[in-house]
Amino acid sequence: MTIEELAATLGEAQRERTPLTIVGGNTLRGMGRPGAPDARVLSTRALAEVIEDAPADLTIAVQGGMSLRALAQRLGAHGTQIPFDAPFAGEATVGGTLAAGWLGPRRHLYGRPRDFVIGSTIALADGSIARAGGMVVKNVSGYDMSRLYVGSFGTLGVLARVNLKTIAAPERTRLFTMRLPEYTRTRAIAALATMRIVPAAVLWVEGFKQQIDGEDGAEGRLLAFVECSDAMLERATRELRSALGRAGVPETRVVDAGAREAFERVLDAYVANVGERSITYRIGGFPDEAEATALEALALAQRFELRSDTLLDAMNGDVILRVSDLDARALGAKIEMFDDALHDLRPQAIVVAGEHPSRALLQVWGAPPDALARMRALKERFDPHGILNPGRFVGGL
Amino acid sequence: MLHERLIDALGADAVKTAPEDLAVYSFDAYTAGRPPAAVVLPRTTHEVSAVVRIARDCGEPIVPRGAGTGLCGGAVPVAGGLVISFARMNRVLEFDPVRRRARVQPGLVNLDLSTHVAPSGLFYAPDPSSQKVSTIGGNIATNAGGPHCLSYGTTINHVLGLEVVDERGEVFYTTIDDAGYDLTAALVGSEGTLGIVTSAWVRLMRAPEAVRVWLATFPDVDAASDAVSAIIAAGMVPTALEMMDRVAAQAVEAAFHAGYPTDCGAVLLIETAGYDDDMDACESELARIVRERGALSWRAARSQAERDALWAGRKGAAGAMGRISPNYYLQDVCVRRSTLPKALHAVEQIAHTYGLTVANVFHAGDGNLHPMLCYDRRDARAVQAVIESGNEILRAAIELGGTVSGEHGIGFEKRDAMTAVYSTADLAAMARVRDVFDPARALNPEKIFPSGASCPEVKAPSA
Ligand SMILES: Cc1cc2nc3c(=O)[nH]c(=O)nc-3n(C[C@H](O)[C@H](O)[C@H](O)COP(=O)(O)OP(=O)(O)OC[C@H]3O[C@@H](n4cnc5c(N)ncnc54)[C@H](O)[C@@H]3O)c2cc1C
Repeated sequence: MTIEELAATLGEAQRERTPLTIVGGNTLRGMGRPGAPDARVLSTRALAEVIEDAPADLTIAVQGGMSLRALAQRLGAHGTQIPFDAPFAGEATVGGTLAAGWLGPRRHLYGRPRDFVIGSTIALADGSIARAGGMVVKNVSGYDMSRLYVGSFGTLGVLARVNLKTIAAPERTRLFTMRLPEYTRTRAIAALATMRIVPAAVLWVEGFKQQIDGEDGAEGRLLAFVECSDAMLERATRELRSALGRAGVPETRVVDAGAREAFERVLDAYVANVGERSITYRIGGFPDEAEATALEALALAQRFELRSDTLLDAMNGDVILRVSDLDARALGAKIEMFDDALHDLRPQAIVVAGEHPSRALLQVWGAPPDALARMRALKERFDPHGILNPGRFVGGL
Repeated sequence: MLHERLIDALGADAVKTAPEDLAVYSFDAYTAGRPPAAVVLPRTTHEVSAVVRIARDCGEPIVPRGAGTGLCGGAVPVAGGLVISFARMNRVLEFDPVRRRARVQPGLVNLDLSTHVAPSGLFYAPDPSSQKVSTIGGNIATNAGGPHCLSYGTTINHVLGLEVVDERGEVFYTTIDDAGYDLTAALVGSEGTLGIVTSAWVRLMRAPEAVRVWLATFPDVDAASDAVSAIIAAGMVPTALEMMDRVAAQAVEAAFHAGYPTDCGAVLLIETAGYDDDMDACESELARIVRERGALSWRAARSQAERDALWAGRKGAAGAMGRISPNYYLQDVCVRRSTLPKALHAVEQIAHTYGLTVANVFHAGDGNLHPMLCYDRRDARAVQAVIESGNEILRAAIELGGTVSGEHGIGFEKRDAMTAVYSTADLAAMARVRDVFDPARALNPEKIFPSGASCPEVKAPSA
C-alpha cells in the first residue's frame, strides 16, 4: 500500500459512507469504545517503511504503520532513540501510538511523544493528503497540525507518515528494584520523585505479578530506572540508595543486564489483560496526589470485592489500576457501578485496556473536556460523514 | 458608537482613540499597517469578552497585541479594527512551586516570570532574545523559541493549558491532558487567529545543577557551521549552540563589551547544563569536535559574571546592529542541521550578489538562521535589494528542504510564502481549523493564510 492508495481508500469509504475502524498494531484495542460492528477494518501495517533516515540531523521520517521496535532498532544503530514508551513495542505502530496520544513513564524527562513530531502526512476522509511541518526541528509556519493529529485517535484522519526528531540514547540504564516494608511507601516514593538526579522512571507496583519483576513487600514494591552517562552512574546509584535508606528501605537490588527488557515488561503491563475478566484504568494527576489516588482507588476496588493490580508512575502522577474478577460474568455484575464510583472519585479516569463486553457501557474517556463542542465542530470539518473510527472516541468525536 | 461602547464597558482610561496613540499601535518590530479604530487595554478576561462582543457588533476585526516585538507583522492591524493590548494583564495569577507550574496573564513579560519563580529554584525555559520585553501571550501566539530551546523545546513544550476568549466573546479552556483533541497544540503558534489567550498554565523547570559556557572561534562561518553540524551528528544536544559571525560580533562588542572576539570569522557560543559529573566529559567531547573542524580557539567562561555578559551580548545582538547600520532586515528561516554550511554559504552569496552587508547571529544548533541584512531606509535601491535578497534567502532555505520561519512566525510578512512550502491541500487542512474557531475571519485577519497571490513574494520591511 502507498500513502496515495491509503488516501484513495478513505475517499472511497467516504463516498460510500462505509465506516472504518483504523488499526495499527491493535495493541491499544482496549482504549476507547469498541469499533462499530459494521465498520470495515483498515490496517496501516502495510505502511511500514523508513522514508528518510537522517541521523546527522537527528531526525527520521517513517510511515505510520512501522512498529515501534523496528523504529527503535533503526535508531539504535545510530545510538539514538525516541522515548514513546508504549506497550508491546513489537506490534505497536508509530502512527497508532501517536494517534492514541499514548503517555508513558519517561515523559517527565524526555517530553511527550507529540513533542518529537516535527512533521506529518495525513490521509483525510475526503481522500486528500495533507502535509504539515517538515524535516526541520523548529518551524512556525501556520498551525501545528501534526500535534493536533496526535491524540486524535484516528478520527480526523490517518497518520500516513510522521517526521520525528530523535535524541541520543543514554549510555547506561540501570534498574533498581526493592520490596517495601511497612510504613515506607510514602517516604520512598517522595524521596525518589524529588531526587536531584532525576530518574527516568519511578514506579510503585502492587500485583502485576505475571508482568513485572520483583516481589511485593508489605507495601508493594518499587522500581526505579536510571538513565545517564557512564560518568554519572556511580553518583546516581549512591544518591538513590541513600534516599531509599533515609526512607527506611534497606535493600535494593540492582539490575544492569536486562534493565531495558525489564522496562519494556513494565510498559506491557499497562495494557495487559487477563482475558475478558479485567478492565484497566489510567488515572492522570499530579505526582503529589498520585499515592492518595492509588490508595483511594484500591480501597474502592476492595469495597466492590474486585481484585486489583496497581502501578503508580511517581514522576508523572499517573495511576494504572487493573480490576478483575473470577470471570467475565462476575466482573460484569459490578463493573458499571465500580466505574461510576471511580469517576465520582477521579473524573479523569480513562480505560486503557479491557476485553470485557461491558466496556462499551463505561465512561472510557472520563469527564468530557470543556471544549467538546469545538472538538465536535472540528470533527465535522474533517470527517463530515463520520466514517473514521465512529463511536470510539470522546463524546462521539 | 464603537468608542462610546468601549468606554462604557472598560472605562475611559482603558480605551485609546487619539490619532497619536493609535499610530503607536500600528507597528510591530517588522512593519507598520493602518492605525486601528481603537486600542483597548482590558484588565480581566471578562473585559476581553466584552470587547470582543462590542467589536463583533460593530463589525470590527480584532488584533491581539503583546509587546509588539513580533518580526512578521503579526500584531499589526493591516485591516484596521480593534487592537487589544495586554499591557494591563501582566500578573502571575498562581504559582505552584511543588507542581512546578504557574498560571499567568498574557501580558506578563517573559523574563518577569523567570524572575518571579527563581527564588524557588525554578525557571521558565523558552527564552526569546526579546524576553526582557516580549510577553508570554505573544510568545504563545508565535510559539516563540530562543537560544535554550535547543534542548528545552520551544514554547509549545511548556504550555500546559489555556484560557481563551473566542471570536464571539465566549471563554473556553484547554489543557494538554484533556480527553479529545489537543486544542492547546492548535492554539499555540496560531498567531492570534484562532482565539485570544487570556491566561495560560505554563510548565516551570528546575534550575540545573551545573552550567558551563564556552566560546569557540573559527576562521570563517563555513568552518563554524561545519562544527555545529558535527556536534549534532555526534548526538550531542547542548542547551544552547549559537553562532555569531564577524560583523555581528563587532557590533555586539561595540555595544556591550561582552567578551566576544572580533578578530575571527565566526564565534560559537555553547552552553551545556545538567549534572556536575557530566560537564568534564561534555567539554572534552565538544572541544575535540570543534578542533577537528578547525577551531582557532576554545575557552570556557570562568565566572557567572562572564557567562551573563556573553548572554547579554548575544541577546542584545539585534539591538547592537544600530552600531553598524541605520536599518536592518532580520530574516528567519530554518534548515536541516546538516545543511547549515550550505545554507550559510547561500546567504553569503545572496548578500554578495546584492552588495549588502549581512550579519549572522543565530540559533545554529536548531538550524535556525537569522541573517540580518544591513541597509539604509532612505536609499530606495538598497530597500529593493533587501526585499529581493530576503526572498532569495527564503527560496534557498526551501530548496534545502527548510522552512520559511523557524520561530518568528508568518504573520503578514510571509503569508504569501506559505504557498512555497505547502500545497493547497495542506493549507486547506489548516483552513478547516480556522473555519471552526473563526469562521468570520474576525481574529487577526490577513495573517498566516496566503492573500491569494500565487508567487511567494515577501513584503517590504519598513520599520
Ligand atoms: C530584538 C528581538 C529579538 C527577538 N528574538 C527572538 C527569539 O530569540 N526567538 C523568537 O521566537 N522570537 C524572537 N523575537 C520575535 C518576537 O519577540 C517574538 O515573536 C515574541 O513572541 C513576540 O511577543 P510580543 O509580546 O512582542 O507579541 P506581539 O509582537 O505583540 O504579537 C505577536 C503575535 O502574537 C499575537 N498575540 C499577542 N498576544 C496574544 C494573545 N494574548 N492572544 C492571542 N494572540 C496574541 C499577535 O496578534 C501577533 O500575531 C525577537 C524580536 C526582537 C525585536
